[in-house]
Amino acid sequence: MGDAALLDGVLFLPLIGVAILVALPSLRDNAIRRLSLAVMVAQFLMTAWLYLRFDPAATGLQFETRLPWIPDWGVYYQIGLDGYNVLLVLLTTFLGPLVVAGAFTAITKDVKLFYAMVFVLQFTMLGTFVAQDLFLFYLFWEAMLIPMFLIIGIWGGERRIYATLKFVLYTAFGSILMLAAVIYLVYSLNATTGITSFAFADLYRAELPLSVQTILLAAFGLSFAIKVPLVPLHTWLPDAHVEAPTAGSVVLAGVLLKMGTYGFMKLGFPLFPDATRAFTPLIMTLAVGSIIYGACLAWVQTDIKKIIAYSSISHLGYVMLGLISLDLIGIQGAIIQMVSHGIVAGGLFLMVGMVYERCHTRELAAYGGLAKLLPAYAVFFALLTLASIGLPTTSGFTGEFLVLLGAFNATWPQYQQGVTLPLVLSAGAVTGVVLGALYMLSFAQRFLFGPVKAPHQPVLDLNLREKLILGCIVVAMFTLGLFPAEPLSKTELAARQYQALVASHRTGTAVALRTVEEGIALRPVAMDSALQTPRGSAR
Amino acid sequence: MSWQTTFTAMLPEHILLVGIVALIGLEIASQARAAFLVSVCVVTAAVIAAASLAATGYAMAPFPGQFSVAPEALLAKAVVLALAVPVLLISRNDFADAQFHILILGSLYGVCLLLSADSFLILFLGIELMSLPVYVLVLLALQRTESAEAALKYLVLGGTATATLLMGSALLYGASGSLSLAAFAAALGSSDAMASVGVVLVIVAFFVKAAIAPFHTWAPDAYEGATVPVTAYMATIVKAGVLLAAVRLFGMETVPRPMADMLALLPLASIVWGNLAAMRQQSFRRMIAYSSIAHAGYLFYAFLGDGAGRFQAVAFYVLAYGVMNILAFASLPRAQDDTARDRLDNLKGLYQRAPFAAVMIGIAMLSLAGIPPFPGFVAKFLIFRNVFAAGYTTYAVMGLIASYMGIYFYLRVIQYLFMSPVPSHVQRPPYGRAVLGASFLCLLAGIAIAVFPGWVIGQF
Repeated sequence: MGDAALLDGVLFLPLIGVAILVALPSLRDNAIRRLSLAVMVAQFLMTAWLYLRFDPAATGLQFETRLPWIPDWGVYYQIGLDGYNVLLVLLTTFLGPLVVAGAFTAITKDVKLFYAMVFVLQFTMLGTFVAQDLFLFYLFWEAMLIPMFLIIGIWGGERRIYATLKFVLYTAFGSILMLAAVIYLVYSLNATTGITSFAFADLYRAELPLSVQTILLAAFGLSFAIKVPLVPLHTWLPDAHVEAPTAGSVVLAGVLLKMGTYGFMKLGFPLFPDATRAFTPLIMTLAVGSIIYGACLAWVQTDIKKIIAYSSISHLGYVMLGLISLDLIGIQGAIIQMVSHGIVAGGLFLMVGMVYERCHTRELAAYGGLAKLLPAYAVFFALLTLASIGLPTTSGFTGEFLVLLGAFNATWPQYQQGVTLPLVLSAGAVTGVVLGALYMLSFAQRFLFGPVKAPHQPVLDLNLREKLILGCIVVAMFTLGLFPAEPLSKTELAARQYQALVASHRTGTAVALRTVEEGIALRPVAMDSALQTPRGSAR
Repeated sequence: MSWQTTFTAMLPEHILLVGIVALIGLEIASQARAAFLVSVCVVTAAVIAAASLAATGYAMAPFPGQFSVAPEALLAKAVVLALAVPVLLISRNDFADAQFHILILGSLYGVCLLLSADSFLILFLGIELMSLPVYVLVLLALQRTESAEAALKYLVLGGTATATLLMGSALLYGASGSLSLAAFAAALGSSDAMASVGVVLVIVAFFVKAAIAPFHTWAPDAYEGATVPVTAYMATIVKAGVLLAAVRLFGMETVPRPMADMLALLPLASIVWGNLAAMRQQSFRRMIAYSSIAHAGYLFYAFLGDGAGRFQAVAFYVLAYGVMNILAFASLPRAQDDTARDRLDNLKGLYQRAPFAAVMIGIAMLSLAGIPPFPGFVAKFLIFRNVFAAGYTTYAVMGLIASYMGIYFYLRVIQYLFMSPVPSHVQRPPYGRAVLGASFLCLLAGIAIAVFPGWVIGQF
């Protein structure tokens, strides 16, 4: 029981932080910064404790809290940890203090509002991950837009208004269709099983005909795919990343994008398994397309933030590939890849922010020979570059390797049965690794080595605060790369559950698809009952 | 029937009446300064009376066939009267005399009558009594020529609505031989031409009053021409009164097909047009007018749903919408004159000068846009849930997509508040205690709705 309360504490701690900031109007900027850091560190420690206490062998939710919230609608405040979200929650709270500490010198305008918004963002992201009730999930999912809108719009670069409006309008469009699908799904569940519930566990039992599943998967999938983002829905991402302040970019790349892949893993695919299987080739194509297209775009960018932004598209494509492979190794790889990308891309964005603070430009052409000027910086940057490429011993290797292994595991048998497309796609995904090495290495080479160009004025190398931040990132990156077995053991049950759910058949009962033409009451029209009852014969 | 039953059943109305008489007395005695306090107390007392009667489950028909109260009607009155309290509070800076308060209380009396009407006679009386003082209220800001224009436009179109309502009820009387509201509900599915035309005319009259496209054209001018408290009154209380009266009119009846299409398509057009037109406005009140046109659309969507859930959906929606709207009006910074105050530019960089007010307007805008976790989201969810449940999937999805179009202009306000530099010359007088009180009242109500939506919905 105590641990369940601790999870609630982790979730609501950022709001307490906001309350403190509001309650103490006379706080100096530096005090605000330290206070925010303290709150975030406390949150991370609490989460780390929960992570250690997390039992990998237990099925179902752990540290669960379930309280009635809107009883008439069957909405519960239900949160808990399971194998799906435990690593992502840890990742979110791990990046929290780094984001706060990374913004110490970068943010000088409206400091209080900034940290309040970072807290709100942290709250909504954690809420999205721990929510086990679809209504609650949607609430957090959508509420997350508000702090991000303000963070990009207030502290962003020159075209910040354009970028932030694009980001919000893009993602909100996906959400509104998802809302329609959520309501429809809950009503269909009510019609087939007689229970009104938004709980994930109940919704997994919904039986829907393939046509309805396809429409609902499209609605959910659009929303998630925009957030991942899958090519061709990615165009908001480079703008948002480039214009966002460093903290915004880190959170965007580190956590926000994972909300999309998490959504697919927890909701999109398992809720509509038959439609997922029917559309596997399409989803796989989109995933591999994202890997290759993102990598190609990253290669030709001249803005260092854009390079990392497009590399994110490529890396998230691996996650999607692993999830849709439905192979246990692939799914596990996808989960590790999510965490790995969060750490590595988050670290890279922090590093870009650090160099931007010193030289005030993001043009790659303006840089050169940074290794001579900023040796410590160069070491960290080289390490993160290697992790981004996926060199063995780094976290990037674990994720990408497992995903590719899983993809081949899943597609080889199909090839032997004469279906070649999936195997071709898996092979295509491998080229992403090569392309990744190509663009990241050429980027690092031009950035760190060669003749010294910028900066024009003498600059200081990393200070202690920055070294500590990057040290944390590098330690996490190697830990995940060298000892992946421990986190993998915690997610294994969830991966198996996901696999079983997506493999299940749930078109058993036919539900009348209600359209404007037939304003009839929704009722299940099971085959056998249709034969037995006279009412069914009218159908 | 004893006088006691009449007294209890009409307690909120009687309190308002006593208040009006007291205010006239104050005006005669040249004690207008006390008017503000008196009217706030009177309306608060009326809220308490209505709410406590509703809580005891009181139901009575003091004038059978004409006027009756039931918990539902009393609750509706309580909601509308409760929304009037912060509106009165924000009038503190704009109206110092008793006139304003007499007119508002008179109009509220009309709303109460409207919400208890059992026959078209009382319905008509209520609508007129509600509207006539508002025409005058719009005109009260006569320092500007637009006010006269706005009031005239409002009066003429309001008159048209009245005529349409009378025509509709006459036709319904001709078809059914009864002036009772039940005749309307019964005629909803009727194949009789006279009855159907009567039903359509009555619905059109309500559409005009609620500003549903294409009958919305009076709203932007009237809203812009009036002063801030009057606009707030029109956008929240008049709208709530009209919609709750419509709920009473439709009763428990499920709207059958051809009528349901009319009840879906025009509100849908309203949502689309309101949201699109609001994007281009430079005047805050005009923007809110278009926003209110869109919100009237969502509210009429509730009538597609099952008869039993209609009151809950509409009452909860007008409460959440009203509270947030008044919050925005209360936080609107003052400027050298009313026209400058109304310009959206006036909001630029407000966060730098008045962070609390800026955050309040921001919350109100996000809530009106229907973004969770703010109250507007749950309200919208409730309505669309009922529309889905009634089987109108296509209309529901179209309505949701149309509501997406509205997000942009609400975000634009937030962009002005937080992301624009402060114009250097701006001088802003302080808000004053009464207005801050209204903000806090609305904020508390909003938080209560957002944190305990289940409890609030359970009250209806």
